[in-house]
Amino acid sequence: MLKRTSLIKRLFILCCGKGRHQLLRTSLFCIALSLLAGIILLLLLGKNPWEAYRSILQGAGILAKPRYAGRKSQLTDFMSLLNYTTPMVFAALSVAVALKCGIFNICVSGIMVFSGFMATVLVGYSNLDPFVAKILVVLIGALSGALLGMLIGYLKHRFNMNEVVVAIMLNYIISYVVSFFIQTRFIDPITRQSVAVTQNARLTLFDYPVGSLKMEIALVFPLAILAVFAIKFVLDRTRFGFELKAVGSNSKASNYAGIQVGRAVVFTMIISGALAGLAGVSYYLGSNASIQPRVLPSLGFDAIAVALLGNTSAIGSFFASLLVMIFDCGTTYMSSRMQVLREIAALITSILLLFSAIGIFFRNLADRFQQEAEEV
Amino acid sequence: MNTIIIEGLSFSLPLFIIAIGGIYSEGSGITNLALEGLLGFGAFFGGLSYAILSRTFGGDPTVLIYASLGFAMVGGALLALLHALMCIKFKANQVISGVVINMLSVALTAFLANQINASFFGQPSNKFLLEVFPKATIPLLSRIPILGAVFTDFYTFELIIVVVALFMAYVLYKTPTGMHIRACGDNPHALAAAGGNVQKVRFWSVIASGALSGLGGMCFAYSISTTFSPNIYMGFGYLAIAAYIFGSWKIGPTFLACILFGFARSVGYVLVQKLSLPSSYGDLVLTLPYIVTLVLLLFFSSTNKPPRALGEVYDQAKR
Amino acid sequence: MENLVEFRHITKRFPGIVANDDISLSVRKGEILAILGENGAGKSTLMSMLFGMYTPDEGEIFIRGKAEHITSPLVANELNIGMVHQHFMLVENQTITENIIMGIEPKKRKFGLFPIVDLQSSHEKVQQLSMHYHLEVNPRDTIEDVPVSTRQRVEILKMLYRNAEILIFDEPTAVLTPQEIESLLLIIKSLRDSGKTIILITHKLDEIKKIADRCAILCKGRLIDVLEVATTSVQHMSALMVGRDVSLTLDKVEHEKGAEVLKVENVSVVSQDHITLVDSVSFSVHEGEILAIAGVSGNGQVEIADAIAGLIPIKSGRILLQGNDITTASVRKRIEAGLSYIPEDRHAVGLILDFNLRENLCLKQYYRSPYSNERGILQHDAMNELGNTLIEAFDIRTSKGNDTLVRSMSGGNQQKAIIAREINLDSKLIMFVQPTRGLDVGAIEAIHTRINSLRSEGKAILLISLELDEVLQLADTILVMYNGKVQTIRKANELTKLQVGEYMMGVHVEKN
Repeated sequence: MLKRTSLIKRLFILCCGKGRHQLLRTSLFCIALSLLAGIILLLLLGKNPWEAYRSILQGAGILAKPRYAGRKSQLTDFMSLLNYTTPMVFAALSVAVALKCGIFNICVSGIMVFSGFMATVLVGYSNLDPFVAKILVVLIGALSGALLGMLIGYLKHRFNMNEVVVAIMLNYIISYVVSFFIQTRFIDPITRQSVAVTQNARLTLFDYPVGSLKMEIALVFPLAILAVFAIKFVLDRTRFGFELKAVGSNSKASNYAGIQVGRAVVFTMIISGALAGLAGVSYYLGSNASIQPRVLPSLGFDAIAVALLGNTSAIGSFFASLLVMIFDCGTTYMSSRMQVLREIAALITSILLLFSAIGIFFRNLADRFQQEAEEV
Repeated sequence: MNTIIIEGLSFSLPLFIIAIGGIYSEGSGITNLALEGLLGFGAFFGGLSYAILSRTFGGDPTVLIYASLGFAMVGGALLALLHALMCIKFKANQVISGVVINMLSVALTAFLANQINASFFGQPSNKFLLEVFPKATIPLLSRIPILGAVFTDFYTFELIIVVVALFMAYVLYKTPTGMHIRACGDNPHALAAAGGNVQKVRFWSVIASGALSGLGGMCFAYSISTTFSPNIYMGFGYLAIAAYIFGSWKIGPTFLACILFGFARSVGYVLVQKLSLPSSYGDLVLTLPYIVTLVLLLFFSSTNKPPRALGEVYDQAKR
Repeated sequence: MENLVEFRHITKRFPGIVANDDISLSVRKGEILAILGENGAGKSTLMSMLFGMYTPDEGEIFIRGKAEHITSPLVANELNIGMVHQHFMLVENQTITENIIMGIEPKKRKFGLFPIVDLQSSHEKVQQLSMHYHLEVNPRDTIEDVPVSTRQRVEILKMLYRNAEILIFDEPTAVLTPQEIESLLLIIKSLRDSGKTIILITHKLDEIKKIADRCAILCKGRLIDVLEVATTSVQHMSALMVGRDVSLTLDKVEHEKGAEVLKVENVSVVSQDHITLVDSVSFSVHEGEILAIAGVSGNGQVEIADAIAGLIPIKSGRILLQGNDITTASVRKRIEAGLSYIPEDRHAVGLILDFNLRENLCLKQYYRSPYSNERGILQHDAMNELGNTLIEAFDIRTSKGNDTLVRSMSGGNQQKAIIAREINLDSKLIMFVQPTRGLDVGAIEAIHTRINSLRSEGKAILLISLELDEVLQLADTILVMYNGKVQTIRKANELTKLQVGEYMMGVHVEKN
């Protein structure tokens, strides 16, 4: 007996079913779903969703705005987008690398605060030559992050401590301790944040004149791109990458095969920590210039969403970062133009993460529909 | 000395009720990292209900205050519904679901608090103002030296929490329902073979964890700042997780862990005052419970025994 | 004799497979009916439907002449049907009584108000029941403290507590010693004599011969025949089970043992809870020798293999491989010193299921040339070549060759992949733990033949198996373990099956 599978089911199979690029298609499907949720939300608020999404793209520099302030253009908006995307790329890579080894790195925010603080205090207030200062900032960022990563990895391997709980504890300990030091020594009474770092130490050039425009240039954005390709290379083509993925998939079998599990875990966390550290300095000494005490940057947690959306791959993390930051950056403009709360960006990102998290369910469901369709 | 006990208890008890919520959820086999989001959302819901009710009805705030506690439980249960659906129906990774729920709660409550304040109350704000929670003192018992402080000047919600906690402990350890919950966390197939409905038991355990977290969150909102604001997310949900990990997922030892955390805080604050240190040292004090957690985890992680089936997706076909 | 249970045209499907195909079978009151079949034949599925764990897609089940829809174990219990599962359904952190009363807990009121579970009277009831049926247990014990044979008694008591009349046993003897098996068979007989009807799911032909009245044979989901046990030979039953004639013996050539390859000297292994798992064990394996370690599951055999492989630490003693002391060597060093290990758990240990076949076949060699260069970069071409060679040589059936995800391969092919990888290492010592578990008779034959030919090539083979027949068939030397200690080490042709069984129970102890 023939049974026609319903149109919805067939569409769903198309999006999430087996075949080439199943992971990519499922991710796109989740993005589409959350955009849909956003549309519904905007309609409920009585706003035109089409206008809203267009404003977001305009705010991010992907589309052109109707008019620009003096010395600003679409290019400057886009450069600004890249500036904000840089920390997110590092953070997402950090989470992705750890996840590939079966470790949840929820300490990215804490590591960011720590590395940002160390760089600020050691180099941020100095008068070194700009070239030297910036290189030092990057090195300190990576190093301090790597140290914390090593700590988490070691505690997990040696003492069997659950890395999620350890990470969360560290997040708060770092946040409070850094806050203490800022408030007692480095506080700027007017902004209630740490004293702004000097220009020569900043990783982003602000208001940099290029031709007739003034733009932000994120000097470490190329480094972020480099990191993406480096991580991809390590994971796909090296011995260490093989061991990392093996341990993440099955640590018992890896041990049986002669792989040193503990070493893989610690080294993975060193890399993950270093990336988080780079996120920290490109955030606190790049897109920002000071640290707000007692606040853990939400970027560290959003990076989890981003890594999941990018299916924990290096390239995927990059594009997912870009997407989420387009939303984040563009919403400021959208919010002022259309009288919608800024907070809607975080909300849609969370919904996106929700759908990403049940991505595996979507894939299994599509497989089941496909099997049912094939059986009749 | 009295302050230490009074302040300590007013922190420990809401923490404890949240931790019991975690024990219920994880005891049935569902990893629950979402306690932070659940307590926040519960506090949001309670605060919102208070704001709406006080504007609509006015009058004696005391009734509304207690009502807001009930609404907070409803709010927590609502968000927990999402976690239950994600983990049980959609078989999502439970750790990720928990983290997602936390992020969603932060984003949603921030958005809604701003929006509702703007649209309905006509003021730009992201807070809901509450009334000061009533306190009480039991006349005779409060005169006992040292221990009398337990009965002195306490928020009445502490009493509510104690009653609820006793009830939840009774259910978990003495009734068939509790036995089934604990069975689900150890070997869900055993319950299925006995004719129980594993998904249903887990579902209601997660809902319960939401309700209890909401209650705890609302109490925190009252005791810490008498408002609901985005600052409610201070990591207490995670601290509750640490508490029940020490307590080996048992209610009795978890109570002791919560007392330890609460008193670590209050001792720290009193020290800061006595030594006349500037208030920013208070930040260092706030780290104490977390440091204690790390140290104790260091020594006890190898002997820790979580529920056997914790975090495993229940698959009927696998026998 | 009336039919207590009747299956009429029962069909049950799971995604991708027909587990039961139009089966019509009846069970007579007061008989012991054996359900015989290989792994995957559909025996457990059929009986699970009787117990309400699944419902049939087609067909009906009649109990006492009436059509019944058994939708859950609760319904089955009401129809007085009980089942002892192969994998015990017990809650470890609760007591025996709590496990037995789960789902039908009696309540009483504390202070006349609060309903609580009445554990006191339940303990007493369980005690009475256990004494009545000679299944002695202490009701207050917690399951995690109690040995396997006691746990099985708890499972049986669970059925009897619910007044089961129809008792289903699913492979009950898999975890028992020969002596415990004897006493279980006696218990089953006495249950039948007190009026119960028993359905015994098994693949053990000798047990069927001992107690069953009739035997229903399933093969690949279909019912082949129902025979009177008394008048049917074991050979006939076996042939029907497999679908062809199976040779139950192996051609083994007697030859001289060669040089010593593995020497284990006074090795002891202690668990994290300070329980001695292996107690000062010594033995050696030579070239061209198969040394089989026999024993009931959980007496330290697997721990010895894990210790030799370096997966668990040893407390004292020495291990020498081809003269080299590997006692404290890393896992990788041991592999490089000439050790191959086919582990018990294919999925959790032997393979990385989410990796593809190529990566799994190269799992122990990826780091060396030619699979990696000096700078740590993997050489995919060399790995591909290795994969293709092994797939062909070992007849590994796959859908996408090297790129097949191992998770999607069948159990038999997964085992072939592991064996291919380990043999390719060309190690002097090869350890096999339960190599034929869960495989059909054809696959078992193939593996036994291969082990035999490795022996002819001069390899030293350590075989750990729970299947006594396999041990007796393959071994040159038999070592029996009980409670972590060596009971005896003797040439295989000097021992009978019954003697081995006695050693397995710790009946004789030899001072070596």
